[in-house]
Amino acid sequence: MFYRLQTILLNLTFYLLFFAVAAVLVPILVVYGCVLVPFCSWRRTLKRIRALIRVYGITMIHLGWPFIRIRTEWADEPPPEPCIYICNHRATSDGFLMGMLGCEGVQVVNIWPFKIPVLGVFARLAGYLSIREMPAEEFMQQGTRLLDDGVSIIAFPEGTRSGSRQMGPFHGALFRLALRSGAPIVPLCLSGTEDKPTKGSVIMKPGLIRMRFMPPITADVYQEMSPFKLKNHVRNCMISELEQMEQEE
Amino acid sequence: MQRDKIIELVNEVFLEDFEMEAGQLVPEVHLFTELGLDSLDVVDLVVALQKKFDVSIRDDERVRDIRTLNDLYDFIEALGQEMGSK
Repeated sequence: MFYRLQTILLNLTFYLLFFAVAAVLVPILVVYGCVLVPFCSWRRTLKRIRALIRVYGITMIHLGWPFIRIRTEWADEPPPEPCIYICNHRATSDGFLMGMLGCEGVQVVNIWPFKIPVLGVFARLAGYLSIREMPAEEFMQQGTRLLDDGVSIIAFPEGTRSGSRQMGPFHGALFRLALRSGAPIVPLCLSGTEDKPTKGSVIMKPGLIRMRFMPPITADVYQEMSPFKLKNHVRNCMISELEQMEQEE
Repeated sequence: MQRDKIIELVNEVFLEDFEMEAGQLVPEVHLFTELGLDSLDVVDLVVALQKKFDVSIRDDERVRDIRTLNDLYDFIEALGQEMGSK
């Protein structure tokens, strides 16, 4: 009964605030971004656009407080930057959570984020990589260039939301990029997002979201692996870690 | 080429190039959903099979219909018969 009441309150407040904040925050971010463009280099502008997207993500993901709480769990050392963040993908909120990373990053996305009004333009400007729209070689070139520029790549190699605690098979493009660039891979396990909201629904459920950063997998560990072996190695590490996280609950 | 030999050579590709375990390689296993191959892995697989069997299958439309390991054995066997009849 109490949980049901919490769910109702969460959804009432969250969606009310979501649209209200979006209506206020998006124009502010657009104006802020546009005003500063003529005074900065393109590289700095890109950095600023990515920071604005991060601000938006952090703001939106915190609108569910106190019904939705977020806990970040770090490995011994902060992730090396730039790196390739490999995240499991259970729900829509995962994309917003990436604002919590605190680094300059570009997400690898499907086509649909580019179709979101205003934000889609921001995503395109920020150089988000639309993996379904680009040939493999172009993806490799752009990804390598971003990493060389100090920009981390954030990706959900399952390619779509799993909608449950099961992890889907991984696509290999990110791991081929790692093998080509030598960038460290940081597996990031997301737990508790599977019902925020559940796939096919808009109802958010109260609870704790945990973001656990696993120790980086560096090139000296993976350079001898095939792309296929590397992707399955990372996937298996994440499955074990998620099982452990969920047993701790 | 005998089917047993085809199975042995195809399995060698999976063991050597994809570092899979022998226990995974049962004929009915689904290459994509169970073994976890994706479209880029298929390109690697085609290259490895071409090398192993000394054939050209890159542009063969039938590759698109392969789902299980058994489909792959059948495909290679059919290819061998076609080449033998030419």
